[in-house]
Amino acid sequence: MLEFLLKTTTYRAALRIMTPILLAALGGAFSHYAGILNIALEGQMLLSAFIAVAASYYFGSALWGVVAGVACGIVVGLLFGLFVITFKADEFIVGTAINILAVGGTTFLMRAWFNVKASFADPGIVPLPEINIPFLSNSSILGELINGQSSLVYLSWLLVIVLYVLFYHTPFGFHLRATGEHPEAFKAAGGNVTLIRYIASISCGAMCGLAGTHLALGYLTQFVLNMTAGRGFIALSATIFGNGNPLIVALASFLFALAESFSIRFQSLGIPPYFVLMIPYIFTIIVLVIISARRRTNELME
Amino acid sequence: MQDSYAVELLNITKNFPGVLANDDVTLQVKKGQIHALVGENGAGKTTLMNILYGLVHPDSGRIRVDGNDVSIRSPRDAIGKGLGMVHQHFMLVSSYTTTQNIFLGHEINRFLIVDRKEAERQVQEISERYNLLVNPQAVIRDLPVGVQQRVEILKVLQRGANTIVLDEPTAVLTPQECDELFLIVRSLVADGKTVIIITHKLSEVKAISDCVTVLRRGRVIGTFLTKDISKEELASKMVGSNIPTAGERTKLKAGEFVLKTKDIVVRDKFNTEVVRKVSLSVRQGEIVTIAGVEGNGQMEFVEGVTGLRKTIAGQIFVCGKDVTNFSPDKVRQSGLAHVPGDRIATGTNFKASIADNLIAGRHRQFPFAKRGWINQKEKRKFSQELVEKYKIKTPNISVSAKTLSGGNLQKVVASREMSFDTPLLVVVQPTRGLDIASTGFIHEILLDMRNRNKAILLVSTELDEVFELSDRILVMYEGEIVGEFTPENVTREELGLYMAGVKRLPKTESESS
Amino acid sequence: MSNTKRLQDFLEKTGGLRRAIISILLAMMIGAFIVYLQGDDPIIAYTALFRSAFGSREAFFQTLTNSTPLIVTGIAAAITFRAGVVNLGVEGQLYIGGLAAALVGVYLEGIPPFLHILLALLAGCVASFIWAAPFQWLRVQFGANELVTTTLSNYVAILLTTYLVAYPFMKPGAPLAMTKNVLPSAFLPRLVHQGRLNVGFIIGAFLCVFVWYVINRSSLGFEFRMIGANKRFSHYVGIRVKRMQVFAMGLSGAVAGLAGAIEVLGTQHRFIQNISPGYGWVGVLVALMSSNNPIAVLPVGILFGALKTGGLGMEAATNVPSELSDVLQAIIILFFAANVVFPSFRKKPTQRKEIEEIAHLEES
Repeated sequence: MLEFLLKTTTYRAALRIMTPILLAALGGAFSHYAGILNIALEGQMLLSAFIAVAASYYFGSALWGVVAGVACGIVVGLLFGLFVITFKADEFIVGTAINILAVGGTTFLMRAWFNVKASFADPGIVPLPEINIPFLSNSSILGELINGQSSLVYLSWLLVIVLYVLFYHTPFGFHLRATGEHPEAFKAAGGNVTLIRYIASISCGAMCGLAGTHLALGYLTQFVLNMTAGRGFIALSATIFGNGNPLIVALASFLFALAESFSIRFQSLGIPPYFVLMIPYIFTIIVLVIISARRRTNELME
Repeated sequence: MQDSYAVELLNITKNFPGVLANDDVTLQVKKGQIHALVGENGAGKTTLMNILYGLVHPDSGRIRVDGNDVSIRSPRDAIGKGLGMVHQHFMLVSSYTTTQNIFLGHEINRFLIVDRKEAERQVQEISERYNLLVNPQAVIRDLPVGVQQRVEILKVLQRGANTIVLDEPTAVLTPQECDELFLIVRSLVADGKTVIIITHKLSEVKAISDCVTVLRRGRVIGTFLTKDISKEELASKMVGSNIPTAGERTKLKAGEFVLKTKDIVVRDKFNTEVVRKVSLSVRQGEIVTIAGVEGNGQMEFVEGVTGLRKTIAGQIFVCGKDVTNFSPDKVRQSGLAHVPGDRIATGTNFKASIADNLIAGRHRQFPFAKRGWINQKEKRKFSQELVEKYKIKTPNISVSAKTLSGGNLQKVVASREMSFDTPLLVVVQPTRGLDIASTGFIHEILLDMRNRNKAILLVSTELDEVFELSDRILVMYEGEIVGEFTPENVTREELGLYMAGVKRLPKTESESS
Repeated sequence: MSNTKRLQDFLEKTGGLRRAIISILLAMMIGAFIVYLQGDDPIIAYTALFRSAFGSREAFFQTLTNSTPLIVTGIAAAITFRAGVVNLGVEGQLYIGGLAAALVGVYLEGIPPFLHILLALLAGCVASFIWAAPFQWLRVQFGANELVTTTLSNYVAILLTTYLVAYPFMKPGAPLAMTKNVLPSAFLPRLVHQGRLNVGFIIGAFLCVFVWYVINRSSLGFEFRMIGANKRFSHYVGIRVKRMQVFAMGLSGAVAGLAGAIEVLGTQHRFIQNISPGYGWVGVLVALMSSNNPIAVLPVGILFGALKTGGLGMEAATNVPSELSDVLQAIIILFFAANVVFPSFRKKPTQRKEIEEIAHLEES
């Protein structure tokens, strides 16, 4: 009954599922280190997913899809930054507003541009290409796991390493983390706190753009109403879990993706789909509780 | 050449909402001088220096460095002009190392990768050059305050500062560390730097400075050569009138034990023991003061006693009842009131009205509440009474606490807590940041309570206050009581030695015989 | 002074009401622009919108009907926000309460109407209270951020109730997952002959006033307000912060459940899958725009209800999709929030940030 635990397809699927969560969580890491609470990962992903699909359709190219998706993410990130940093609006309100705007906005545009109500699928949408790594033949276990995944999957792994170096070994990384931990100290040292925060918002947006693009063009090749389905919040949990550290964030994303992959396999065991679909969310909550408990300090009050 | 100015602030005016912080202030500091800037809290000293450093923009006025007009819009500009500032609350990132903090904002890098070794080498070099020894790899949060200050100074020197501003540098130092700091300042000046020291401690002004400028209520009262003016004259210029003398403290026979702690152990958030087996007691009719440099466990001890922090071991008795690890509401019920050291974040609720702040803690009790609903009339009456009795300056009781000045805010906290009229009152730094009149007022009230047989546990770093109010003085160093005295049998210097951990009495339980 | 600063100062000086009106106008302008880009005439679209929301008595009653769930969820959200707790699980709590009320309404037979309604509403409140409170308990006990856990709880609640209504409690032969019809003795009485405006609206309006009184005049409300403004202070003064926060979350859940119950007993007369098109989320926006003031929730809720009703009507009359109203809602909130300082939902109390500003003044 539990054979799926031993099948490589289960883990291969987890790697695929992990990608949008990981990308968004890495974006969340930028915000986290800059000291901004960004709960709009969900909305940014959703908007970018739609724009990516639309662009891929109109221009007949997946590359345009990626460009448009990332551009959309950057624009929304800029907007978020504008309201939170310059207008000093509360991050929570702006985040919630963007999330609602994303659902309403994508539905609106889907109906206005494509005249469909629940999902937009069309042979004209060009999906992201898969990449075959030559020396990883399909027969070895490693090959089965890793070879032939969609392009952004590999990009996401690369970004984990790039961001790790960026955050901890470059001047920008030091500036970023100082901005979040002690902005006055950074300012007193001659730094520009506002600029760093804007860069962080935009970077977060770009990463969410990639996440949304992968979600819509990576395997599904369509846009479905509300297709992010809470992944943005699971990504936020991964960011919190990892405290912004790209390596740990990747680990958390993989864990959450694994839960989803398992839950899909459970469906074939006859458990009603509704329960199975709950698993990723419940798992995320439990993990969040456990790591929060371990971080608890000795004080009586938080 | 000797008369050229390192820095000039000319006709600086700065308005904040509700406060005229700087009113046409002119300050000229000669090169190679140690110039003290004195005034009471609220006089405008830090604002003026923040303007010099680019953290605040003046409404009008000019700044000149080395005789040239300059525009300073941000710390970056200030640093570029050779200005450096060590703030009262250090501008250090706790999780970064010494080196990372010193190079923050201008990290040494090769092709965008930070060069840690080179940076550490340079820190080592500059640390030796100025004899400000620090460990380049130590993480800031592990370092004691005195060393953190050295890092701040090195930070400023590394950027090539010629004029260095020190904002209340001795607030967190023991008397011995102060002497070390003064040596450092002198050597910096010998090296050609100019130093501006903000302080409100007149003995320091006399000890270290060449020149002193007095500010009062945002205006310059005058600039003097330190050797030509006495402490008393400075004090009266700071305050504008004669200083009131201390209140009367008659000898009382202490009564029952009201507070007794046995071997209290408290941990901080990094799991280090910051209160290590402290036993003390306070009786009716006495004021027991815990003296000591900030950061030696006093805050944590008080938080443990008042239920705001977990006590790992030991026992606390209030009025004979064991209240160890009770929640604050239960500890209060046993007979304790608490004026916390942090009046802004803990002692008051900024967003609430003054009336709300005053009845907080009684909001479920008769006569303020009946069957769950608050009696507005009683609330108003009570609040008016307190406002009048304590002379809290406010247009009415419905405005939010945020509009009050520091002294009045403290009066709100003090009046609320004292109105509970509990057998025990725990007071922490009651007059920090208050003007002289409010300070005297609070002192009077505390002495009055003592005379009415209440027990008071006081925590203070102001030695004047300690000597004026205490029946017994306990010195806390690194979480332990290292000495017990009466104001009559100890001198300030002696106390300073205990506060610095240089001397300590043998470990016995501290109780009055 | 920079231009942004000037704009901010201007916005700050004008009161909440003026700020609301300005936000609405700005959002309408952007909406008009979007409609124009669509190739439609904004004037026609907006006219249709207004007419569908307010143009006639039936339209107005429809607006009030659509406003009811928004008002009640708005109150639910406002309660927790006032206490410094973030409840984003309102949507899921609505589902839970709605189903509980539906079950009582369908299966409890032979009791007089007044009692039946009361029990059903109570069931909705209790069920959601029990569902919601534990999430805040997880926060006080383990530090798990309730913003994230309650958001995730929505998905679980919706899936759970959908399952229950698709299998065990399914109405036989129905095309969608839904319960059997609620018994007439549990119907919330209609207030009009045509349309579905019912007593639920009165309950909502009453709640606005009642909750205002509780928050501002009762000891319980006092504690909520103190905790919401400054947790440290509240603890120090003797308020049982953790207990009160869990209670606040539960209370909020109960009201959200009430919203679901009203929807079931008053408007739909059964529980059906996807019963709520996001009422919980809009409720959060309503609360935010009302600055968490229960009295303001009434007009703001009606405004958002009007947008919804108007949007549907606009779609029927023109080519413009009704989701424009959702977009407008979000834009209104964005502009409203700009320059507003709300209780911060970060871990550190907001007071600390203000302190730093004022401390610069204090220390001279």
